[in-house]
Amino acid sequence: MKSEISSWLIFRLLMRPASVFEELSDTRPDPHVVFFRYLVWLAVIPPAFAYIGASTFGWRLGAAQPLYLDGGDLIVISIMYFFVLIFGFVSTAIVSQWMASTYGARYSLGIHFALVTIVAAPLAVGSAIHLYPHVFINVIVLIPVLMWSMFLLYRGLPVVLKISPERGMLMASALIGYLLVAAVSLLGLTVALWGGGIGPSIGV
Amino acid sequence: MSAVQPATEYYRDRVVTALVMFSVIWAVLGMAAGVYVAAELVWPTLDFGQQWLSFGRMRTLHTNGVIFGFGVSALMGTAFYSVQRTSHVPLFAPKLAWFCCFAWQIAVLLGGISLLAGWNAAKEYAELEWPFDIAITVVWVCFAIVFFGTIAKRRIKPIYVSNWFYGALIIVIAMLHIVNSLALPVTISKSYSIFSGAQDAIVQWWYGHNAVGFLLTGGFLGMMYYFLPKHADRPIWSYRLSIVAFWAFVYSYIWAGPHHLHYNAIPEWVQSLAVVMSLILLAPSWATMINGIMTVSGAWQKLRTDPALKFIVLSLAFYGLATFEGPMMAIKSVNVVSHFTDWTIGHVHSGALGWNAMITFGTFYFLMPRLMGTGLYSIRLANIHFWLALAGTMLYVLAMWGAGVSQGLLWLSLDEMGELSFSFKDIMASMPPYYLLRFVAGLVFLAGALLMTFNLYMTIKGRRTLRVQPPEVRSHQV
Repeated sequence: MKSEISSWLIFRLLMRPASVFEELSDTRPDPHVVFFRYLVWLAVIPPAFAYIGASTFGWRLGAAQPLYLDGGDLIVISIMYFFVLIFGFVSTAIVSQWMASTYGARYSLGIHFALVTIVAAPLAVGSAIHLYPHVFINVIVLIPVLMWSMFLLYRGLPVVLKISPERGMLMASALIGYLLVAAVSLLGLTVALWGGGIGPSIGV
Repeated sequence: MSAVQPATEYYRDRVVTALVMFSVIWAVLGMAAGVYVAAELVWPTLDFGQQWLSFGRMRTLHTNGVIFGFGVSALMGTAFYSVQRTSHVPLFAPKLAWFCCFAWQIAVLLGGISLLAGWNAAKEYAELEWPFDIAITVVWVCFAIVFFGTIAKRRIKPIYVSNWFYGALIIVIAMLHIVNSLALPVTISKSYSIFSGAQDAIVQWWYGHNAVGFLLTGGFLGMMYYFLPKHADRPIWSYRLSIVAFWAFVYSYIWAGPHHLHYNAIPEWVQSLAVVMSLILLAPSWATMINGIMTVSGAWQKLRTDPALKFIVLSLAFYGLATFEGPMMAIKSVNVVSHFTDWTIGHVHSGALGWNAMITFGTFYFLMPRLMGTGLYSIRLANIHFWLALAGTMLYVLAMWGAGVSQGLLWLSLDEMGELSFSFKDIMASMPPYYLLRFVAGLVFLAGALLMTFNLYMTIKGRRTLRVQPPEVRSHQV
C-alpha cells in the first residue's frame, strides 16, 4: 500500500471526488504529511478571508452600520479562529480513529486526517465568502457548501475507510453528531468571549 | 399465577394503531401550522386581519399541536405497545385505554380551537385554560391507571428500562401539570394563576423545562429504549448504563428550569444552581446517546432493508447536539447573548425536529407494518423522507443560528455614548431573509411528513391490526 498522495488532492476532491476516494482507499498516508501539506493550509483560508473582509468592509449583521472591530482585536480573533479550526481538525481525526474499531474501519491516523481533509475542503474553500462579511450572505453560501461536505462524508467514508456502505452510514452519522457539537461549541465559545471583552463592544 | 395465559388473550393493539394514526394527523396539522406562522413572520399580512389567524394564536396552535397532539399521542401509543410486550400481558383496563385515546384527541382538538378563539392562560406550553387543564388531568390519570395497571399484572419480574422512562413521564408530567395549572377561574375562558410575580415565573419554568425534560426527552427515551433494540434485533449495549443514566437524568433534570430566567428577578443562587444542574445533566444525556449509538453500531446489516433505522441513527446525533447545546446555553455568559434571540428557537427545533420527530418517524415506519402484519408500502419514499427531514432540520438550525447570533450581538451593541446602538424594530426589520430560509426549511420538513403520511396510509389501507398473543412465560414468574 503506497503512502504518498498524488498532487492536486484538493482540486481533484472538488472536481472528481470519487477518484480521490478510490486513491485514498489504497493509500496509507503519513498523518504529518496530510496535516502540513493540506489541513494547515485549509485552516488558514477562513480566518485569512475573514480578517481581510472584516477589516475592509466590516461585518454586516443587518443593521444600518457595518460593525468594525478594533484592529488588534481582529488579529487576535483571527489567530484564535485558526487555532480553533486546527483543534477541530485534529480532534475530529482522533475521534474518527477512536470510532474506527467500533465500525471495523481502517485505523491508521493518516487516513483519518485524509477523511477530515475531504470534509473540510469544500467548507474551507467556500469560506472565501468571508471576504464579503454579510452574515446572511455567508449563511446562504455556506449551507449548500455544508451539504456538499456532508455528501462527501457519507459517500467517501465507506470507500476510504474500507467498510460497507451501511457501516459507513452509521459512522458518518456519529461523526456528524460530533461535528454538530463542535460547531455549536465554537458558537458558544465565541459569544462567551464577547462577554469577556474580546470582540465587539457589547453591554454586558 | 398460571404459567400459560388463556388462549383467548391478545395484546390490545388496535388502540395503538389508532393513536399512531392520530399522531400522524397531528404531525401534519401541527407542522403545517408551524409553517404558516413561519410565513407570517416573512409576510405579516398573511393573517388577513383575522384575529384567529394572528401569529400569537397560531403559534400556540402549532406548539400545542405538535407537542400534545403529535408527541403525546405517539408516546401514549408506543407506551401501550411496549408495556404489553415487556410485561407479556395485554393492557390493563383496555376500555380505559380507548377512553384515553379518544378523550385526548378531543381535548387537543377543542383546546386548539380555544387557542384560536383567544383563550390563553399566558403560560408557555401550558396555554390551555382551566377546563382543559382539568380534562388533561383526568385523561392523564387514566393513562397512569392503564400503564401502571399493566405493569402491576406483568408476568416478567424485571421492569424493563423503557417502562421506567414512560413511568417517569406519566408521574412527573402529572405533578408539573397540576401544580403549574393551579389557578382561580373567573369565567369559563379565563383564570388567574394562584402564583404571582417571580414565584409564578419559577413555577412556570419548573413546569416548562421539565415538560421538555420528562415529555420530550424522557418519554422519547422510553420509545428509544424499547424500539431501538427491537429495530436492531439486539439487546441494549449496556443495560446497567441505561439504569444509571435514568436515575441521574431524573435527579438532575428537575432542578434546571430556572436557567430560563437568568438575569431576572429571581434569587441569584437559584440561577447558579440551575446552571450547575444543567451542566451535570450532560452526563446522563450523553450516556444514553452512547448507549443508543453502540447498540445500533452492531446492527449495520439492518440498514440494507430497514430505512427506519436511519431516522433513529440521525435522531441520536441531534439528541447529542441538543443535549450539549442546552447546558451550554444555560451558562450565564452564553445565555446573556443567546436569550431572547432566535438561537433558542433553533435549539428547540434541533431537539424537536432532529430528535423527537426523527425518532418518532423511525418508530412509526417500524411499528405500523408490524401492527398490520405486512411490509412498508414504499422503502424508497421512506428514504426520500429521511433526506428531506435531515435537510429541513439542518436548514432550520443554521438559519436560526445565523439570525440568533446576529440578534444577540445587535441587541447588546453600544455606541460611543454607552447607549444601545439599535432599536428592536430596526433589528427585526433585518430578519426576513433568515425567516424566509426557516419557512423553506419548514416546508421541506413538512413535505417529508406528508410523504410518511401517504406511505403509512398505503401500508394500512384495507388491513386490520394483527391479533398477537403474549408469549408463554414459564421461567420468569412474578
